[in-house]
Amino acid sequence: MKKVLAALALGAMALGAHAQETIKIGVITDRVGVSKPYSEPATEGVIFGAEEINRKGGVLGRKIELLVEDDQSRPDISAALARKLVDQGAVFILSVSLSPATQQQQTVTMEAKTPQMTPMNSADYLTTQLDNPYFWQTGPLGSVQIATLLAHAKSKNFKRVAVITDNSDLGQAIAKAFKGTMEKAGMQIVADEVVARGATTAMPQLQKIRAANPQAMFLAGVLTAENVLIFRAYRELGLKFPIHSSYNLSVPIYETVAKGLVNGVTFVDAYDPDKPEVKAFEAAYRKATGRASQNLHGYGYDGINLIADAIRRAGSTDKEKIRAAMQQTSYAGVMGAKGMKYTFPEGKRVGFDPNGMVVRVYEKDKQGRVLHIGTK
Amino acid sequence: MRDFLELAVSATASGCIYGLMALAYLLMIRPTGIINFAVGEWAMVAAFGGHLLLYRWEWPYAIGMVVVIAFMMVVGWVTERLAVRPLVERGAPILAPILALLGVLVVTREIISVSFPPDPLPVPFPFDIGRLEFGPIGGSYQSFFIITVTLLVFVGAWLFFEKTLWGKSFEAVALNRRAAALMGINLSRVTALAFAGGAAAAGMAGLLVSPNISAHYLMGVPLAIQGFTALVIGGVGRVEGALLGGLLLAFAEQLTARYAPIPSGFAQGVPLLFLIVFLLVRPTGLLKARA
Repeated sequence: MKKVLAALALGAMALGAHAQETIKIGVITDRVGVSKPYSEPATEGVIFGAEEINRKGGVLGRKIELLVEDDQSRPDISAALARKLVDQGAVFILSVSLSPATQQQQTVTMEAKTPQMTPMNSADYLTTQLDNPYFWQTGPLGSVQIATLLAHAKSKNFKRVAVITDNSDLGQAIAKAFKGTMEKAGMQIVADEVVARGATTAMPQLQKIRAANPQAMFLAGVLTAENVLIFRAYRELGLKFPIHSSYNLSVPIYETVAKGLVNGVTFVDAYDPDKPEVKAFEAAYRKATGRASQNLHGYGYDGINLIADAIRRAGSTDKEKIRAAMQQTSYAGVMGAKGMKYTFPEGKRVGFDPNGMVVRVYEKDKQGRVLHIGTK
Repeated sequence: MRDFLELAVSATASGCIYGLMALAYLLMIRPTGIINFAVGEWAMVAAFGGHLLLYRWEWPYAIGMVVVIAFMMVVGWVTERLAVRPLVERGAPILAPILALLGVLVVTREIISVSFPPDPLPVPFPFDIGRLEFGPIGGSYQSFFIITVTLLVFVGAWLFFEKTLWGKSFEAVALNRRAAALMGINLSRVTALAFAGGAAAAGMAGLLVSPNISAHYLMGVPLAIQGFTALVIGGVGRVEGALLGGLLLAFAEQLTARYAPIPSGFAQGVPLLFLIVFLLVRPTGLLKARA
């Protein structure tokens, strides 16, 4: 919150000094809704990135000014906020709340011909349902996450697997995608369990999975508290089969809230701690804020840098020129496997390389090394 | 059989949490007729209190627990003072305080949501993570801790209502407000105490369940629903009913999830089914109030 205020103050000061000189970029985030655990760190990454760009002289000699709005992940509010940002003169809108809210904002950006991008939303439909040439998505798609995790699983030759998830929309969707891909790969799903939001134990579900005797368990849930219940029951029952998890386990909160429970769990991520860009980012973030950075900051940081890069190449803040420049992007950021670049080939507007995700493992209660890269 | 006994321990522990939530509703609804859905948020507040005192500041568990529960009593008392009493004194219909308390629910959640980071936060266990076994019956330390503390709370509540003058005055107000007032019972004091007790019971549930499910700003609503269902099953007439309702609900939930030959997702419907059936067939719940 302080950072947001600081950024706003910074923006306000810049506004006072050089009234017509800032480049306004709208940010639509979620401060109170379901997406808050993802949106807040991503927004911190955006603010840190904008401050860094401004310290280095800004873009086209002008400072970036962030206009931050909170849509609570609600589609009914988010479109109105997009309109407000367009009216306030934003030349680009950065969407870091929930996919359905981002989708709704597109109705405004398409009509107002204002460039918009989401650096972290994972819904596959964002660039396919609407033919909006002003919208790009650089977060890894849900389908890529699942393909990466299962490519790793395939190398283990599992025949009998269990799937467990929660009853959230996203948890259900990921589980469904897991099961579809597994069946195609010839794996037999011997147990298919759901832990409801607000449950106080996952004991019955884990007992059932134990009785089905799988070779591995795939965790598709996205609700942290319920996932912790699953890990707890797993430990309590002394189960030994490996757990492979969706990208939800890439949220660093598990290091504290599931301490002692997650070692050995593998998960999909878009972050490789050994990558040079990541090391540079982590050092700069620590130097500027005094705090450790996390993978979710990287999404927002890449987002604002992709926008700055496009405006630089456009050589102007003309929205049409920015749109054309954005489409020609070729940029290596913090997120993605080593050597990955964000590009939008053949007029596509999805920028994350399908082979840019990695599978990592928890070691000593920390998100550890990379075990597997890509979907092969 | 081993599976069943293991599950019985976990279901009893869950049932105890539901029972405490039901008790929180019951303590307030008996003397005042007011149903307070903010109990879920109260449980959440206590869980965050547990996080602060026991995790961040590393207080000894027993002291932290007493302070959190005492704080919850103050929260309940203040809520009654600010959101309920002004309405009752002005003769507002019973719906008014119920709606005001829904407002309290939202305000409480938003305060917690903006004061703490968005992620679930850890709350430590009173004992380590471990497993206790009595012959074939086995379960986590925390399960047995939840069961023990809940039993103590219910025995205490039962003794209060059966054996103390204060408890009797609660009953008297529950039976007939007007007559009780004419007999010299201080209505507003009973109401204030009811809210303090309700907040303490909800807080206890939140504190006991939070090492397992973590402290989270959205944790209140599910607890409020589970407690309400337990209350409908057990009936609002007697404190034992709250515990009975909680246990029945938890066993039904977990036995269906484990043994019923239906897809796992459908097992979530069981509490709702219970709620509907009881509201239709036996709206007073299993245990009736004594005449």
